[in-house]
Amino acid sequence: MTAQLVVFYLLAAVTVLSSLGVVLTRNVVHAAFMLLLALLAVAGIFLMAVAEFLALAQILIYGGAVTVVVLFAIMLTRSDDQPRADHSQRPLALLTAVGVFALLVIAFVASDVASLESATGVGTDTESGFEALGLGLFTDWAIPFEVASLVLLVALIGAILLARSAEDGE
Amino acid sequence: MLELVHFQVLSAALFSIGIFGVLARRSAVLVLISIEIMLNAVNVNLVGIAAFSDRAADVRVFGQILVVFIITIAAAEIGLALAIVLRVFRNRGSANVDDLNVMKW
Amino acid sequence: MGTDAAFLAPVIPAVTFALILLTGRRVPAIAPCLSIAAIIASFAVWIYVFVAFLDDGAGTRSVEWFTVGGFEFTWGTTVDEISIVMLGIVSFVAIGIQIYSLEYLRGDPRLWWYFAVQSLFAAAMMTLVLADNLLLLYLGWELVGLGSYLLIGFWWERRSAAEAAKKAFVTTRIGDVALLIGFVLLFRETGTFDISTIITLAHGGVVDDTQLTWALLFIFGGAAGKSAQIPLHVWLPDAMEGPTPVSALIHAATMVVAGVYLVVRLFPIYRMVPEALDLIAVIGLLTALVAGVIALTMTDLKRILAYSTISHLGFMMLAVGAGAPGVAMFHLLAHAFAKASLFLGAGSISHGSGQTDIREMGGLWRKMPFTAVTFWIGALSLAGLPLLSGFFSKDEILLAVHTGRLNGGFLIVTFVAVAFSVLYTGRMLYRVFLGPLLPTNEAAHEPGSRMWAPIGIFALLAAGLGGAAFEWSHDYKGFVSWVTNSEEGFHLSTSITGASVVIVVIGLYLTWLVYVQRRVSSVGTRRRFGPLATIAERKFFFDEVYQWVINEIVLKIAALTAFIDRAWVNDIGIDGPGKTTRWGGSVLKYLQTGMVYNYALGMVIGAVVLGVVWWTI
Repeated sequence: MTAQLVVFYLLAAVTVLSSLGVVLTRNVVHAAFMLLLALLAVAGIFLMAVAEFLALAQILIYGGAVTVVVLFAIMLTRSDDQPRADHSQRPLALLTAVGVFALLVIAFVASDVASLESATGVGTDTESGFEALGLGLFTDWAIPFEVASLVLLVALIGAILLARSAEDGE
Repeated sequence: MLELVHFQVLSAALFSIGIFGVLARRSAVLVLISIEIMLNAVNVNLVGIAAFSDRAADVRVFGQILVVFIITIAAAEIGLALAIVLRVFRNRGSANVDDLNVMKW
Repeated sequence: MGTDAAFLAPVIPAVTFALILLTGRRVPAIAPCLSIAAIIASFAVWIYVFVAFLDDGAGTRSVEWFTVGGFEFTWGTTVDEISIVMLGIVSFVAIGIQIYSLEYLRGDPRLWWYFAVQSLFAAAMMTLVLADNLLLLYLGWELVGLGSYLLIGFWWERRSAAEAAKKAFVTTRIGDVALLIGFVLLFRETGTFDISTIITLAHGGVVDDTQLTWALLFIFGGAAGKSAQIPLHVWLPDAMEGPTPVSALIHAATMVVAGVYLVVRLFPIYRMVPEALDLIAVIGLLTALVAGVIALTMTDLKRILAYSTISHLGFMMLAVGAGAPGVAMFHLLAHAFAKASLFLGAGSISHGSGQTDIREMGGLWRKMPFTAVTFWIGALSLAGLPLLSGFFSKDEILLAVHTGRLNGGFLIVTFVAVAFSVLYTGRMLYRVFLGPLLPTNEAAHEPGSRMWAPIGIFALLAAGLGGAAFEWSHDYKGFVSWVTNSEEGFHLSTSITGASVVIVVIGLYLTWLVYVQRRVSSVGTRRRFGPLATIAERKFFFDEVYQWVINEIVLKIAALTAFIDRAWVNDIGIDGPGKTTRWGGSVLKYLQTGMVYNYALGMVIGAVVLGVVWWTI
């Protein structure tokens, strides 16, 4: 039981528990905050996998922007004063979720990923991916990168258009 | 020792929790939140693979690059989706998925 | 061109038929002119061909019609003794009939159609008798059947006429199926439809015996249908629903003898199969006898003549069965003119007096002497009064039965049949023409010249054609030998001839007693024969039996088939997929709940299933 593993289990527990909270709590606002917690924990997981940039990005984007947007949406759609948070499909959904989990676990455990594992695993002396990530994004994957930014632009414009109210002079 | 399978099981767990949320929650906003969880599950899986791959660094980093894109798209998507939810709420007076059944037979 | 010109004889009326169809509705008056001109032209062709035939002898000519899969079908004519005689009869009688029809059907709104079909019929009949191959013969056969159907049902507004036309067509159709089977069997054995080739091959022993026998039996089945032999005779009496000139032409002189013509033409092959000839003889004799008995009980004048026709057709077939086709042809010739004049006379009577039932007729000679004389000539000729043509032909038949291939029993039954033919003739003649003039016949009068002229000519021929039976020169040894190209001359057997004369005299005397002198009561005689008389009056119950078969068997099978078609083929087979699809749709529509989360569930489950399937396979 290395320290690494313990930390991982901790972070994993936080993630899972807060995710459960997201999907199980009756209070929508609580769900939003639980989401924030889950996403931050995931950032920690990223750190465990030596993906520092991603951890940073995760915190900034999800923790900052997404949560705020979600909270605004909750406020504007009055989702917080509903009598019930779930509907009739709950039992079936549970069943399906369990099924999916089982399937995935079996698939992961049974499949042969030994060839993917590096001999040393992830340790303190594993080089960070920062440099490679930067290089890759701007050389091999430059075009998808640009396209992604275009997507963001389009989404931005779309969101503005859609969210405009009637009095804004459509 | 930390192994790939840990990341993968975590990913599986998050994914199925996300699925449960998508299928069971009533408010559209909650559904979208659950989708975020699912996307994050995928990201966890990808960074795990990127970390444990025995290829050269510049090939290995593809997993992380993919995560970058996924985060980007997820952000775009949730912004747009919530705008739509807002619109729907304004038109129909409700953002609950079980009130939106115009396409019923 | 000589005998090759024979093809014009059917072609001219055929073209005329088409012409009348085009013009008849608009200019109705032109139809009879065209038709009569055409038939006279055909007769002129016959004269020309006959002369050429006497000079040059027999000839054939054929033209390729179409080729299918290596087989070439031809349109050809054969001119020999048999076809020359038939062609002459058809064209000549048709002229008389059409002229007669001008008067008989005057004022009929559909006159143009009548003459169109008359032309069609003439063309078809002439095609039939001239045909050199069986396929062409079958074509003519079917077309004359069509003509007969159209003409019997000419006054189709009358339900009985429409029914009679249908009955005629369906009954002969049954025969036609057998005919076709027979033809195809022959074709399969010989590889050709050409008649002379088939005969040559058959004589050469190429054809298998059983196949040949079956083929000939089937062909006789077809002939029996067309020539109203028992049991397919039931349509002929009903065919009297048609106009009387139609009965005279089609159902006395021409179409009904097509069957006789066919067996005569194929006689070279029939000769090789004694069983077939036996059957022909038996059926022929049975028909002659039964029809004669029925004729004695009928009260409608045309019905008596119809059954008389059936009886005489039976005599013709009997002659063939006895091995004497030439005799059959001779009787065909004598019967044609005699019967034609009888039917036309009956038409004059109904036209002039308005009666058709002989119980309403009496003493008509006073009002219609010309008709009476010609009618008596025709009737007595067929009854076998000496020196009239029928006497000679009937005598030849008796001789053939006596000296031919048939055994003695046939001769006795033939004499009985002859006796009956005398009896019904006498009854008819005395009842209608002699005795006191009935009040219902006061208005009777002779018809116009267009009607009595053809009757007169036919009656003369009926009287005089007997002369053709004799040997007139070295080359012509009598009609029978001329027709069959044999060396045997004409001869009489005094015992046979004597016996037949005795029968005629006794028969006429007996009926004289009953119907003229009233010394013997007809009612009493009838009562003495009790049940036999009833059977005869009910025409031996043929129609009832057939109707029962139709009702119980045919219609039931048809109902079953209709049910299968409606319930299985249509409702299940055709409507089935449609209804199932709609039902499926109406059930599946509940999947469209409109709820997004339901669809999402479907997607996830689908993905899971796919994953499992992909993983395990």
